[in-house]
Amino acid sequence: MGHEEEEAIRIAHLKFIGKVLSVFTHELNNHLAIIKESAGLIEDTLRLQKSSGKYDIEESLKIIRSIENQIGKTAWICKKLNGFGHRMDRALSTFNVNESLEELLVLLNRVANQKKVSFEKDFQEDIPPVCSDPAGLQLIVFCSIDRLLKSLDKDSSLIFKTKYSGDSIRISIIPKGDFIESGEREICPEDISQYVIEQLDGSIIKNAEDKGITITLPVKTAIGTTT
Amino acid sequence: MKKKKEIKVLLVDDEVDFVDTLAQRLKMRELLVDTVYDGEQALSFIKKTEPDVIVLDLKMPGLHGIEVLREIKTSSPQIQVIILTGHGAERDEEEARRLGGFDFLRKPADIDLLVAKIKEAFMEKVERAMTAIAFAEEGAFDTAQKIIRKEE
Repeated sequence: MGHEEEEAIRIAHLKFIGKVLSVFTHELNNHLAIIKESAGLIEDTLRLQKSSGKYDIEESLKIIRSIENQIGKTAWICKKLNGFGHRMDRALSTFNVNESLEELLVLLNRVANQKKVSFEKDFQEDIPPVCSDPAGLQLIVFCSIDRLLKSLDKDSSLIFKTKYSGDSIRISIIPKGDFIESGEREICPEDISQYVIEQLDGSIIKNAEDKGITITLPVKTAIGTTT
Repeated sequence: MKKKKEIKVLLVDDEVDFVDTLAQRLKMRELLVDTVYDGEQALSFIKKTEPDVIVLDLKMPGLHGIEVLREIKTSSPQIQVIILTGHGAERDEEEARRLGGFDFLRKPADIDLLVAKIKEAFMEKVERAMTAIAFAEEGAFDTAQKIIRKEE
């Protein structure tokens, strides 16, 4: 792979990270806004009760529980971002493809929601871990999602399937819905995915019929060996 | 004694927990509050009931807040719109102001500031309506319309 391709991958990766961070911070800000309003509501309620002399602790407890719930949701998405950040610690590592996809789908869910597109998962549960580049795989999946979201009409869905077949894991991204001409620019050109998947000794195929994408990744348990 | 006019506010945001909690707090401050959860619902709502002030999020499923603002300012320019968003890019703020948005606030906003802005927006609506009526009574209908549309 030449210098130009390497540079193109690097740029695509930076755009990918930038997108994930902007979605994440938006999500986090919304969670904080809910927590702030809920805390404010407790204050309002207590002030009102103080002036009337009638205390109803149940009402405040209900709001406190909703704050706890909101903090739980915030911590969960922070955990996903933390996992995402660590995918880039090493060029190669042993990881579970389902977990890596799940992480990406959680972080990109808001983007899909805004397009009124839903993500659906159909993961084979007992797939073996693979030794590969999880950040590279996430970049390929992200590029595919970005391309499909920009061409799908609202009220559509994207189905993510994983299947283990002995020496490889197949990831299928299947669009369900109508396609439109959006004119929006894609974050990464199609050949980027091709360069990255070649580095992972895998393949990426675009299905002409349903416009879906199939990514195949070899199941390597250690560098250079397949099961 | 003459009854004080209550300000009718419509909150538009896809974050259900946020909008419901904010609505409760605004109601405690003697505002009449309705809530909807996306842009399409907001546009349907204003066809049936006219709020004085709309507090509008930008990034929502389906119609973007800027598109909603554009529609409102075309169909019902007298309604004042305050943008309240967690994702306020500078170009969105410029566009919102260009389209006639009353103000642009970022989440999380202070409740007292938001209430003050809602009251200011309501006063602006009332003053414009009164000025427009005065011009209309003089037969200057074009000027009256321009005042409502903030084109004067």
